[in-house]
Amino acid sequence: MPKLLDTFLFILIMKVINLIVNGSKHQLLVEEHQMLSHVIREQIGLTGTKIGCSQGSCGACTVLANNEPVLSCITPAIRFDGASITTIEGISTNGELSGLQKKFVEKGAIQCGFCTPGMVITALDFVNKNPNPTIDDIKDAISGNVCRCTGYKKIIEAIAEYAEEKNTVKPTIKALKKEVSGAVGVPRPYFEATKKVQGIADYTDDYKLKDVLHVKFVRSLYPHARIINIDASEALAFPGVRYVATGIEIPITFGVLPLSQDEEAMAIEKTRYVGEIVAAIAADSETIASAACKMIKVEYEPIRAFLSIEESMNDIGTDEKIHDTTKFNNNIHKKAELRFGDQKQGLADADIVLKMDFEMIGINHGFTEPHASTAFWDENGLTMISSTQVTHYLHRALAKTMEVPLSRVRVIKPYLGGGFGGKSDPFAHEIIIAHIARKTGKPVKVKLTREEVFLNNHGRHPTKMTIQLGANNDGMIKVLDAKVAIDGGAYGSFGVVTSYYNGVLLQAPYKLDNFGFITHRVYTNKPQCGAMRGHGAVNTRFAVESMIDDIAHKIDMDPIEMRKKNFLEPNSLTVGQYRITSNGVKQAIETVAKQSDWVNKHGKMPKGHGFGVACGFFISGSALPIIWNELPQSVVHLKVDFDGRVLIASGANDIGQGSDTMLAIIVAEVLGISIDKIFVIAADTLITPVDLGSYSSRVTFMAGNAAKDAAENLKKEIAEAISKKKEVAIEELIFSDGRVISNDKTVDLSWDEAIEIVTAKRGAVNVSGKYISPKLGGDFKGAGAGLSPSYSFSSCVAEVNVDMETGQVKVMNIWGAHDCGKALNPLAVEGQLEGSWHMGLGQVLTEEMTYYNGLLVNNNFLDYKIPTSLDTPPIHTNIIETIDPEGPFGAKETGEGAIHAVLPAIANAVFDAVGVRITKLPIKPEDILEGIRKNKEKEKAQV
Amino acid sequence: MIAEKIYCKPNTVEEAINLAMNHADDFRYLAGGTDVIINKFQGNSDTNCLIDITGIETLKSVTVEGNMLRIGALVKLDDLKKYKFIIGNFPTLVVAAHAVASPMLRKTATIGGNVLCENRCIFYNQSEWWREAVGYCLKCDGDICIATGGKKACFSKFVSDTAPVLICCDAKLEVIDRNGIQHLPLESIYTGDGIKPRNLDKMALVTRLLLPMDNDYKVVFKKLRPRQSVDYSSLTTAVSINKNGRIKMALGGVDPKPVVAESQAANAREELIAYALKKSRVIDNDVYSRPYRREMIKVYLNRSFDELNIK
Repeated sequence: MPKLLDTFLFILIMKVINLIVNGSKHQLLVEEHQMLSHVIREQIGLTGTKIGCSQGSCGACTVLANNEPVLSCITPAIRFDGASITTIEGISTNGELSGLQKKFVEKGAIQCGFCTPGMVITALDFVNKNPNPTIDDIKDAISGNVCRCTGYKKIIEAIAEYAEEKNTVKPTIKALKKEVSGAVGVPRPYFEATKKVQGIADYTDDYKLKDVLHVKFVRSLYPHARIINIDASEALAFPGVRYVATGIEIPITFGVLPLSQDEEAMAIEKTRYVGEIVAAIAADSETIASAACKMIKVEYEPIRAFLSIEESMNDIGTDEKIHDTTKFNNNIHKKAELRFGDQKQGLADADIVLKMDFEMIGINHGFTEPHASTAFWDENGLTMISSTQVTHYLHRALAKTMEVPLSRVRVIKPYLGGGFGGKSDPFAHEIIIAHIARKTGKPVKVKLTREEVFLNNHGRHPTKMTIQLGANNDGMIKVLDAKVAIDGGAYGSFGVVTSYYNGVLLQAPYKLDNFGFITHRVYTNKPQCGAMRGHGAVNTRFAVESMIDDIAHKIDMDPIEMRKKNFLEPNSLTVGQYRITSNGVKQAIETVAKQSDWVNKHGKMPKGHGFGVACGFFISGSALPIIWNELPQSVVHLKVDFDGRVLIASGANDIGQGSDTMLAIIVAEVLGISIDKIFVIAADTLITPVDLGSYSSRVTFMAGNAAKDAAENLKKEIAEAISKKKEVAIEELIFSDGRVISNDKTVDLSWDEAIEIVTAKRGAVNVSGKYISPKLGGDFKGAGAGLSPSYSFSSCVAEVNVDMETGQVKVMNIWGAHDCGKALNPLAVEGQLEGSWHMGLGQVLTEEMTYYNGLLVNNNFLDYKIPTSLDTPPIHTNIIETIDPEGPFGAKETGEGAIHAVLPAIANAVFDAVGVRITKLPIKPEDILEGIRKNKEKEKAQV
Repeated sequence: MIAEKIYCKPNTVEEAINLAMNHADDFRYLAGGTDVIINKFQGNSDTNCLIDITGIETLKSVTVEGNMLRIGALVKLDDLKKYKFIIGNFPTLVVAAHAVASPMLRKTATIGGNVLCENRCIFYNQSEWWREAVGYCLKCDGDICIATGGKKACFSKFVSDTAPVLICCDAKLEVIDRNGIQHLPLESIYTGDGIKPRNLDKMALVTRLLLPMDNDYKVVFKKLRPRQSVDYSSLTTAVSINKNGRIKMALGGVDPKPVVAESQAANAREELIAYALKKSRVIDNDVYSRPYRREMIKVYLNRSFDELNIK
């Protein structure tokens, strides 16, 4: 029986090695070809070493072996038999952070924290060997470590400052923590930054459960094919395989929107994209599960695949549709259309009308932590630990697909390694492992490979559009019409919302009287698209900002002047009846103009060197919930007990954007206490109240407001108790600097004394706060799309150099300004802005998802090109504060809106540099050369 | 389907070759491993026996013998800059080494491994599942080259960045195999066949690179890639001129082997550019299009000639 023998060998052929890891001796039995990262994480249990790509392209797995950095995910463990290994856990001493770690924390170089261990080790080794580095040296040194959150700016600053301070003669490094008073507006590292920088913050895959099964998937080889038969007999007989699941076992469909419940956990009758899950195997180890996957024989009958927008827009004749639920004999999933004013008249009246086509390829979030989940069932029903941005929607999807009451599902989000929209849907892999855990009675875990993360996608939709923009010679915009088609891939995801956002989010920051759009979202046989940072608005914004630039050029007006003429005022209504309250777009554009010396630069540089500008606009959360119900958008619970600590319980998911810290800042500010007295527990659906999750830039505004409301309720309870006890009017009491004081100083209590009073004869005090969006918007179908209680505004100027012979674009500088209302934590706001600009830089220059017959070609961090530190220019960050009337302490969104302006600013700078208008993303040097050639021909013709 | 996996770590060249002979049917030498291990993960190399040669100390030195600079095959790319004979005589080699992959990979990858780097193609460097889905190309036992839409030859790219510079400096490879020691001109080991890109004996171990030090080379190196780090080459050019005025050119990234030519003619520029364009079998297996890469061959070579003051 060769199979049994093979399995026997599998276990038998191992070798004993010795490693000294962080000073501790380990004698380990390892498989001959086992990688060092696996040994460190799974056998020694040091999970600070992260696996982001499994091919040495991201640097998250970097450790020191005999004091030299190595990528542990591609290093055989046996190579280092007898060696001394230092992981991130060994960098701090007795819990005391090393100097570099302190700098990472202090400078805000840590957001999601997933790249941090590898980044710290890389940087530490570098500075030790290069004590006097320049900024360029530092950029070079970390150019193999992917960070998707920070845009590298704060990481570079941290390393530079560490090196500089290390070299100063004085041995005392400047104190890590400056004592800070007050909470709102104080730059502050995230609560959990010290944990992340030591590698001891547990992400989903770091949780170790006993007797756990590992799941691997069999994925479709065809874009569109009927499943004739699945033969799992061989796999089932393979030793170590515990369960094989196929689609028919989980017949209930799901999807993030109630309108698009079109996804099966595993394909049942047919597959709709190459890579769709067809079967799942749970086994004692990942290796066994992977091996068994190859034994599953799936018989397919391929049918016509629809791979482009055009194919799916057209009537398909007698071929089979991707989903039989679509209305007509084509694959159009959604048509969204709204019109305001009189576009026809606007087009007729405008002095100049520009009609242009644009095309953008799809892109992926590129978060560094691959999806991972663990599920188990016990007397309380299902518990799901998962890397999700929205515990609440996952909670609902699991209850639905598992056919259990909502009360039998608990979803927990541990630390999360970046999301950017890519972890906001409920996912097939989560549902599958919940099912297998129930069937086997064992905990089940799954982690996706980077290739699988790309296949899972849900990234930005490929987009084609024709835009008409009309203006008068005085620069006033008269009309805007957008005809947009987006390629949704195989399933719905957030696509209905995306369809609207492509249009509605064009109605600001400029005043438009005649505005309309139509968006078609089509299904195609490719991995599905969904929400990604700047959701739905990035591509159409790019087009409109490019066209404004073009019109300004044609009417010989400064593009900043033209924009300023058209800006909506604060406290105004857009044509589609969005209520604009605070609006700092004018300050934003003036700030970047001044900082970049715009008036002396734009249009005045030598050929090949240019400056460009653009603006952006985004929502601070959707005023309407996705799943219609009357729950508040966010509820926050606070508890204070005898020890004086205030516990915040919130369903909002901190995905590395710092929302836990934000909640603490708000509560500390209201109660006038130190942030040290606050503890946040978040995103555990058993313990925390419903929050709709971290998407659409809603958390600061909505969860923040709920936290503020809760804190005010707690303050009231405390004040009432003191008032009663001390016979002082409630209005006389001031909560400040950790004390409760009456105006006349007759009452002067420490926080602990105040808590003693409020808890007397009562015990712990629990209060709740909520946020409900006001009734907003017009009274027409589609009026709810893009409605938000507040909007953010932004502007960017970019400087580029274009090589006239190669067409290569080098971005030299980005100046950005973003109106976030009020920066509750300026360090975190800067981090969000810099990350947004970096992500926009990627989409405009190098990022693209390319397909071959429906098969995603660049499914890894080598071929999917996120800009490295060396490709990232100096970023000049400006926070604009306008104090929003309804935001918590005036705050509004900051996580997404900033991205919009940077793409067109770069493209407009290319136009300034070489006179080539960019209409396709990413910018290809080929296209630039072609444009330069055409311009030359035109010039010749004119001569 | 799961065979015995073996990992050996010899301390001498002889030991390594003996091990190779003992596992003749199924083994791979492993130096840095940054290429081999990933190919293994992707199922492109299913070898069960890895012979890790990084314990062979004699291959880690840089020495000068007579007018020859001898660089051990196991010298790491990142360490080349530490040797005064290299930085003094062949500074462009250090520049080229620095253009390989990312800093962390360069701390593991070796110069020997880089010149032997496996050819690449977007239809080949993929997971096993992916290659099955695409229908397996020639390089992995399929019937046709998918990148060219059906040709019967493999055009996977030669991607070493250091080899073009080494070739321009007339490097020889010291190779030890069953027949003893051989010194081969580096360019002579590349076959131009994407499936089997090198003609070395399977047991052969590359031990050193030998560079003549008395030719006074001036070398210009350029690399086309979308990002300034991590990426493999879409086009690598190296052009040298030696003390006798001989011009030598070597291109990577545009053919299954380095495209090499030399000239001493008055119209060397024109001649070499024409040759490069004629000989480079550029196909659409790269992030940049075929026409663009061909155009860049001209631009890069012209710029290199300019920098070397070659008319």
